[in-house]
Amino acid sequence: MSNVATTPDSADSGLTSKPARANKGVPNSSAIAFRKAKRRRTLEWIAVHSVGLAVALVFILPFVFLFLTSVMTDDQALSSNYWPTHWVWSNYRAIFDVPGFGTWWKNTVEYAVLGTLLTVVSSVPVAYALAKFRFPGRRLAMMLVISMMMLPPQVIIIPMYLFWAKQMNMDGTLWPLIIPMAFGDAFSIFLLRQFLLTIPKEYLDAAKVDGCGELRTLIKVVLPMAKPAISAVALFQFFYCWNDYFGPQIYASDNPAAWTLSYGLQSFHGAHHTNWNLTMAATLLVMAPVIIVFFFAQKAFIEGVTLTGVKG
Amino acid sequence: MSLAPALRRKRRKELATAAGFLSPWLIGFGVFFAYPLIATVYFSLTHYDGFNPPSFVGFKNYDYVITKFPFFWQSVRNTAWLVVVMVTLRTIFGMGIGMLITKIKTGGGFFRTAFYLPYLAPPVAATIAFAFLFNPGTGPVNHYLADLGIAHPPGWFNDPNWSKPSLVLLSLWGIGDLMVIFMAALLDVPAEQYEAASLDGANSWHRWRYVTLPNIMPIIMFAVITGVIQTLQYYTQAIVAGQVASGQIGGSGQQFEPGYPNGSTWTLPQLVYNIGFQRFDYGAACVVSILLFLIAMACTSLLMRRRSGLMAED
Amino acid sequence: MSTVPSTHRRGRRTAAALAVAASLTLTAAACTGQSSGGQGSTGSSSAPVTITFWHGWSQPNELKAINANIAAFEATHPNIKVHAVSNVTDDKINQALRAGGDNAPDVVSSFTTNNVGQFCNSHEWVDLDPLLQKDGIDKATTFSKAMLDYTNYKGNQCALPLLGDAYGLYYNTDMFKAAGIASPPKTWTEFEQDAVKLTKSSGGTYSQLGFMPLYHGYETTTEHYAAQFGPTGWFGSDGKSSIATDPAFAGALNEQKKLTDLLGGYKQLDKFRTTFGDEFSAKNPFETGQVAMSMDGEWRVASIKGDGVKLDYATAPLPVPDNQLSTYGKGYQTGTIIGMAASSKKQAAAWEFLKFLTTDTKALVSFANAISNVPSTLAALKDPSLDHSPAFQTFLDVAANPNSNTTPATPNGGAYLVTFQNLGYKYESGQVTDLNTALKTTAAQIDADLAQAQ
Repeated sequence: MSNVATTPDSADSGLTSKPARANKGVPNSSAIAFRKAKRRRTLEWIAVHSVGLAVALVFILPFVFLFLTSVMTDDQALSSNYWPTHWVWSNYRAIFDVPGFGTWWKNTVEYAVLGTLLTVVSSVPVAYALAKFRFPGRRLAMMLVISMMMLPPQVIIIPMYLFWAKQMNMDGTLWPLIIPMAFGDAFSIFLLRQFLLTIPKEYLDAAKVDGCGELRTLIKVVLPMAKPAISAVALFQFFYCWNDYFGPQIYASDNPAAWTLSYGLQSFHGAHHTNWNLTMAATLLVMAPVIIVFFFAQKAFIEGVTLTGVKG
Repeated sequence: MSLAPALRRKRRKELATAAGFLSPWLIGFGVFFAYPLIATVYFSLTHYDGFNPPSFVGFKNYDYVITKFPFFWQSVRNTAWLVVVMVTLRTIFGMGIGMLITKIKTGGGFFRTAFYLPYLAPPVAATIAFAFLFNPGTGPVNHYLADLGIAHPPGWFNDPNWSKPSLVLLSLWGIGDLMVIFMAALLDVPAEQYEAASLDGANSWHRWRYVTLPNIMPIIMFAVITGVIQTLQYYTQAIVAGQVASGQIGGSGQQFEPGYPNGSTWTLPQLVYNIGFQRFDYGAACVVSILLFLIAMACTSLLMRRRSGLMAED
Repeated sequence: MSTVPSTHRRGRRTAAALAVAASLTLTAAACTGQSSGGQGSTGSSSAPVTITFWHGWSQPNELKAINANIAAFEATHPNIKVHAVSNVTDDKINQALRAGGDNAPDVVSSFTTNNVGQFCNSHEWVDLDPLLQKDGIDKATTFSKAMLDYTNYKGNQCALPLLGDAYGLYYNTDMFKAAGIASPPKTWTEFEQDAVKLTKSSGGTYSQLGFMPLYHGYETTTEHYAAQFGPTGWFGSDGKSSIATDPAFAGALNEQKKLTDLLGGYKQLDKFRTTFGDEFSAKNPFETGQVAMSMDGEWRVASIKGDGVKLDYATAPLPVPDNQLSTYGKGYQTGTIIGMAASSKKQAAAWEFLKFLTTDTKALVSFANAISNVPSTLAALKDPSLDHSPAFQTFLDVAANPNSNTTPATPNGGAYLVTFQNLGYKYESGQVTDLNTALKTTAAQIDADLAQAQ
């Protein structure tokens, strides 16, 4: 098993080549058998693609309904007529008139960008050390990283909250969520370390022969090679911050000026709970950045997901 | 023996470098993991309302949470139900979609995107959307079910018997992560093994059973164990679904009812929030935390043992 | 404890004229009041201070009314600025006061009285008695007695009433006429008969529902029902829950269940409920005509006016059990409470503001009129400019009725109400069938929760 993640491209080539190769192994001495096999393949193609299409449709439909509802009038959104009679594009404008909506955006971007930067900067050296250094206790350190990664955040939330609120006087802000990210994020460390394991030792040795210290080796040699993993980690962390609900609920809910989109969306729904058209417009707007980022960084993302699960 | 001092010096230097690189995490480990874990144990033995200083009460909080708090066992049951059903179905479905996508030859990009996109939807947004779609009175799902001649479609998030299955549907919609992992694993199965199996006259079931399955078994294990851990943390979707469906989450003066309907969506993490940040009984909340910790660590050690890959060195 | 799904909320809309009038009278009133600036009775400072005030109002017109009051206060107290934060829930008040940081408020108000016990018992809210005495305010002759009762806990007056709420019956007079009903129901039997008469259903849904009895039906909460059945109290003299021993509670649960079954059963009603619009909007089912009768608070009078819906309606006290007809006219009552944070470093200024909001007659009357609430001082209740329209008068009467009922404060807030309401959910949906046993278990639960909170 190679340690390099399978990319969508290699997935594609695999898709086309593998069954073909498998079929070549089937001895088809007669033309009838060949035609039979061909027909079987056609039938299989139809079956697979119709199932695929049906499932894909089910997956996409919720988005379609969200969108259609988001451009309906207030009254229609509660009716059972699912095609907008009037296309009310101004719903998307109306959302921005909701007090706080702009602040939630600002806070969310701040949280996500700062959190992502701090996570990457703090996690890379740790991952590098865990992957490439030999020192006593590194196995234990790795076990602890995994334990931290697996720990439900609710386990330590009470003392953590009390620490930030009472000792640091930071209740009602997002800092209790951002600051810890400057001290390494277990999941990111784990993922980066899995990737860094795949960098051949020879590259590092070569750098050291050239007189580089560990830090310079990391910056000059490892960082460029680890770009895919770093972008995956950055994306994951960005999405984590963007989607986080529990954290802002604990630390920021008692100060509306510090709310994030996820928390604000929930409260927006609370205050306008049957203005489904507006709620759906807001919902789509909250989803939009994530989906846009995904389309731009699809490859890094899928590599990252693969890295979490398959390799090691 | 003359090498020893030099070696020791080198060792010491290596250790110092390692410590330097690890330092951010070492601080993080101490402040954001070790300390709060110990403090959680301490607080669990005190009566603490966050206002008056904590007072030592021994195991009173344990007694209260485990034997008297009505939502505790309900949360344990709900969490267990979700762990069994959600994790099983997600694993099977993720594997199924992964297999489907490896068999699709035309428009693979479209299908991959369609299956993957919902995974990206922020949980709060996705949950509000589902609660809207599945609203028994006004949502499109029941409307079309009625058109199909189903006289009594389920109440989904509003029916205690259907609320957890509805959450499972929501989680299946977000299967994208597992799909990718399974897809990659399936593509990694060496083609030669399929060829050999075909030469032996194996049919497609046998090929799946004796070639595919053993090859992807580690991934199935991984999906199950991480699924269990994720489900132990299951919070946002349950809390948001309950709030939205209850229709009683207005802003001022009005608070939501956790576990709606009829406590069927209570989970252990919600219990920590409710006891800690709504009842302000930090001591009792820590009891639930500790329980959650024990279960999560049991799963983690299982993961580290079964998937030695996680700990792989090179 | 604060997961009470009840909804004590003020009216939403008010005519612009009223708001203008409000700010005018407030400014006028301020001239007669003392204007001690930042000087307070517990300290003094001439430097300008900004105090933070948290409240729960959120709708545009509620905000207009409270902001008018704040402006009037600032005009007469030039050294004090008030920074108001709206739409705050009790969870958040509790959390912020415990954290006690820079974001924590100085003056806090809450729509529910449920947490008074918690606020007083934890000393999160300052005991106001010494301040009242210092300023020569005799609370017994200033505030209405019932409201004074629910703002103190075991003699600790850590809150003061800021307007009150009373609950009654709203009924659609057109629908009454169409169904041939002459007058609003007084007894529970009449109520049930009328509700059935007013219900038109077909194919598993309703074109018109007489009454939405379910506990999730907005204001139809267990404690609002229970008040009509005349409980002697929620707790006995020993401090233990009396829900299993006082027949009023079983009576309320049983009558609600009976009504639910009469109107088509839990499932069908609950499905219909999910089609309801927002409680605090023109899509409220009573305002849309989806239901003919509604159990609601006095603020709905202002809401209906403000929402501009064409609706012929009247109000009456809620019905009582057949054998309690002599007590007809009673109802559930509660109110907004206001207090000062113990963590506040600006208590003198905070007290000035609090005193203004709770005792200034003109401020109270105009605020009460603007959001249709029951005034909380005796002077305001007697004020000639108070709204006495028939629809609103019903609620003034309910508030003044000696048999009216409220829910007591406990050290763990409204936890007992949540626990009781949960039993209600289970009973109405048929999950619980043996009510007597369930009431005993629930009472034991309430006692255990209380013991844990001590």
